[in-house]
Amino acid sequence: MTARAPAGSRFLLGAVIVAVPLALALLGPVLAGDPGPRSVSFTLGGGHWLGTDFVGRDVWQQVLHGGRTVVLTGLAATALAYLVALPVGLVSAVTRARRLEELLMRPLDVLLAVPSLLLILLVASVFTPGAVGLALLVALVNVPDAARIVRAAAGEAAARPAVEALRMQGETWWRVAVGYVGRATVRTLAADAGVRLTGVLYLVSTAAFLGVGVAPDAADWAVMVDRNRTGLMVQPWAVVVPAVLIVALTTGTNLLFDAVLGAPSEVPRRGLWRLRLLRGWSRSSPRPFRGAAEPFLEKGRRVP
Amino acid sequence: MRESGLRSFVARRLLLGIAQTVAVVLLVFALTEALPGDAAVALAGDQPDPARIAAIREAMDLDRPAYERLADWATGLLHGDFGASLASGRPVARYIADGFGPSLLLAALTLALLLPLGLGLGVLAARHEGRLLDRLVSSVTLAVYAVPEFALGVLLVTVFALKLAWFPPTAVGYGTDLLAHPAALVLPVLVLLARPVCSLSRLVRAGMIDALAAPYTAHARRYGVPGARVRYAHALPNALAPAAQQLARTVDWLLCGVIVVEALFVIPGLGTVLLNAVAERDVPVVQGLAVVFGVLTVVLNLGADVVAYRLTPRAGVAA
Amino acid sequence: MSRETDAVVAELRDLRVEVEGRALVDGVNLRVRAGKVVALVGASGSGKTTTGLALLGEYPVGARVTGEVDRGGGGLVGYVPQHPAAVLNPARRVGALLGDIARGRVRDLPRDRRRRAARERVVEALAAAQLPDGEALLRRYPHQLSGGQQQRVVLAQALLLGARVIVADEPTTGQDALTKGGLVDQLAAVAASGIAVVLLSHDLDVVRSLADEVLVMRAGRVVESGPVARLWSAPRHEWTRRLLDEHRAAPRGPAEVRQPVLEVRDMTATHGRTTVLRAPRLSLRAGECLAVVGRSGSGKTTLARCVAGLHRDHDGEVLLDGVALPRSLRRRSRAQLAAVQYVFQDARAAFDEHRPVLDQVARTAVRLRGTDERAAVEKASATLARLGLTGDLVHRRPGALSGGELQRAALARALLARPRVLICDEITSGLDTVTRRGILELLGELVGEREDLSLVLITHDLDTARLAHRIAVLDAGELVEQGPARQILTAPRHSFTVSLLETTAQLESGKRVRATT
Repeated sequence: MTARAPAGSRFLLGAVIVAVPLALALLGPVLAGDPGPRSVSFTLGGGHWLGTDFVGRDVWQQVLHGGRTVVLTGLAATALAYLVALPVGLVSAVTRARRLEELLMRPLDVLLAVPSLLLILLVASVFTPGAVGLALLVALVNVPDAARIVRAAAGEAAARPAVEALRMQGETWWRVAVGYVGRATVRTLAADAGVRLTGVLYLVSTAAFLGVGVAPDAADWAVMVDRNRTGLMVQPWAVVVPAVLIVALTTGTNLLFDAVLGAPSEVPRRGLWRLRLLRGWSRSSPRPFRGAAEPFLEKGRRVP
Repeated sequence: MRESGLRSFVARRLLLGIAQTVAVVLLVFALTEALPGDAAVALAGDQPDPARIAAIREAMDLDRPAYERLADWATGLLHGDFGASLASGRPVARYIADGFGPSLLLAALTLALLLPLGLGLGVLAARHEGRLLDRLVSSVTLAVYAVPEFALGVLLVTVFALKLAWFPPTAVGYGTDLLAHPAALVLPVLVLLARPVCSLSRLVRAGMIDALAAPYTAHARRYGVPGARVRYAHALPNALAPAAQQLARTVDWLLCGVIVVEALFVIPGLGTVLLNAVAERDVPVVQGLAVVFGVLTVVLNLGADVVAYRLTPRAGVAA
Repeated sequence: MSRETDAVVAELRDLRVEVEGRALVDGVNLRVRAGKVVALVGASGSGKTTTGLALLGEYPVGARVTGEVDRGGGGLVGYVPQHPAAVLNPARRVGALLGDIARGRVRDLPRDRRRRAARERVVEALAAAQLPDGEALLRRYPHQLSGGQQQRVVLAQALLLGARVIVADEPTTGQDALTKGGLVDQLAAVAASGIAVVLLSHDLDVVRSLADEVLVMRAGRVVESGPVARLWSAPRHEWTRRLLDEHRAAPRGPAEVRQPVLEVRDMTATHGRTTVLRAPRLSLRAGECLAVVGRSGSGKTTLARCVAGLHRDHDGEVLLDGVALPRSLRRRSRAQLAAVQYVFQDARAAFDEHRPVLDQVARTAVRLRGTDERAAVEKASATLARLGLTGDLVHRRPGALSGGELQRAALARALLARPRVLICDEITSGLDTVTRRGILELLGELVGEREDLSLVLITHDLDTARLAHRIAVLDAGELVEQGPARQILTAPRHSFTVSLLETTAQLESGKRVRATT
């Protein structure tokens, strides 16, 4: 890493913070032994290192098991969102057919009107989604935003004279779209992926806290926070430990990605700033500033 | 030229807003249609006795064709008639009216504090760019930005309500009249503020730093305009447009946040009503609330977009 | 002009500005006198701007400065940058900064009279900068002004400040002759009012018509200085001689009459709903060089892009050897693509920053001529060498090449297709005098070398158009005149061409009459 000192220290800080919950989430289930017999709810001590939870299970055992769903669901949802957003955004940025672009992007504009958690709760009121269903839902609410960022980043690259020069050379559509435009947008998208993963982790754990996508007694950090709240006075560890782990996971991810993608000399602050700007617009604005201060939203056309 | 541009922008934006509203209504309605098998049986859930199933079928008019029910429901919405709850039979509009006060109070307090806090922190960090204070503010805002409300809230409750006993841990026992118990509001508003303040201040900071480094700011300084005036009258306006856009996004966060915070602090607002309805599969209540939330989002976004459009600096040259 | 204003208002003595051990300027002495215009000329990177900014009391980050900078006590120095839009705050109305400057000027008045006095001063300054309807202008945002208005607003700011020196940094670069003429008049008027003007420019015509004294800079040092007339008539330094070497080619005679290779018929091009160009008939013969001349916004670039297949929104036909070309690039066959090639104004933006220049140039031969990879690289090397790019340079990425070098590489990339028609869109407008002359000479040679090559030069600059056999003049989207270069340059028929020529001639002869306010 060639980052400057503050970014370097932030990278280290992020890495340390995220390492604990990540290690617990991925290795915990392997390390956890036999759950052992249940004892009395909300006790401290008695052979239980972190006490017992609302139904008398060992809290440490639950902590070891409870991170995997959040992390895996989060990663899967992020990947899924891009799986859809990438082709949609790239095609609508590179295509010269206005209709196709409208067809791809307009429905997404409409979808943006629904607050993400509301959509998840709506679905949950009718179905009972499991972890896979939750991942699909979270991915779905992320698609419009991600597609817009892909489109904006690729649209800017596609409007450069370099693209016209490539077409003048008779290069194929693929070579222009993937070889040049795709490559030019990789950095922006990597930065966006970092921000998005943080947002997805937020949404997945919040949904679990509200009881969506998980069983009511599941070993899941967010569920533990919710269910053990009643015993907060007598047995705070059953709430505080999973809550701290979730804070560490989300915070660490954000710090880490920001340090890796935001600060190194190669991507000036501008890159991330622009990304944040893009993200700022994203809620349901219909490409608001056409031809105004953000010419990179408009593609392929040069003012005479 | 600017005025007509604004007008056509508002017109386009209004059209989209209407489309979005219609889409929300259709989406919400479609969900009940998407129920697998017999909707009434599915909704009866744990107590599938024939009487209850028949009652649900009756209440939701499930025997009539879907388009007729949609037409009736949509017409009802226009008149403020959201149907009746499956669980209690009370009108959905009453549920909404009851929960509106506390939710509005939370949202309004948060927004009122958000602007001065976000702008202030952002400008402060930008003025000290690269120095300790800026690094501190940047790191903390970056870290807190990502934390889910429930985790932050539960930790704050543990420290400030249980250990230090400064504030009550929940709003239980205060009813809907929260304004009479300001201590109970401190932690919920703090939790609601955390994420939006962080994102807003980061945006303002970045915008200010860019603006302070821009040639036009150097030009104003060169001609002897005092430092404070350069910062607040010349640089800051350039940082406001992204901030206004971010406020639009915050609307979504606030709605999510309000739901979580109400659940966490047991505040009887719209979020609690929604969660209870979801738990009870009280579809008409969920639908009614979803429409209210959806329309609210559309309207607030529209407002924020128009403000942002007005504030956005434009480059270039007139023909 | 009265002589009593000759007092020295600012002075640099033995100025040296050093960044990381490298001297940007070294040993520069400069005297700025009231009512006089002193010009700093030199190629880009010669230290002009560093010297000019020193007068403003501004230095690059981390610079070590030695020597004396006397900014005439008060240090009231105005600045007119190359792009006025850059110093106008896009989020504030024009009146905002003007108001702030004026407020600083009326601080000693009684409180109740300040506001009015400030307003009066603003309007006065706008009027002095030839913006008579200033009141209405104050309520507008910068993007609502034309380029000329923006420039005048920036000048008005300096006048309002009460500046005794105004530093103008490349104010005419990339402008057409008419705009240039207006600017020269304006700066002359400023000087006539007793303000000293420091002109940083590589536009020699403007320097000659405006300056009293000239400093020729190279690599951070002043190689020669003196009155403008002496410098032109008897330059002492070799570099000055090279820089001032006019060598203006006489207009070419008509090329041999051959078959038209390219014809444009009944073209009407639009951007959205606005029609931006009407060209009923235009033809290009084999081996001919055609210049398309016009001011910015005249539609000349649109014309070029329509022909090249980069702009599809037009009616009418583009015929190559009598066969209509498809409007869109995508529909053109390889042979058609190869036949009409286009070189972009901004060479840096037209290259992929991640790949070596040689590889990018060679792709033309691979894609359009069906050459295999290795032979293509060989051909590309040869063509690049012919255009003056040799050795290690071509293996580097575009970031390592200068603007002039990249423009040569861009020419090589197009030439490798062995085009029948080569369209050059303002390819020299961003370059300094010496580099520009090199590229223009190269183009002249190319037309002579390859019999089957025809050239379309898009330019705002009649000097460049001299290279052509024939000239077409565009004004506000209309093709107003076309004909043999000699005829257009000596006996123009249309009034627009006449005024364009007159202004150019005045600038070139350095006899632009100084207007007085």
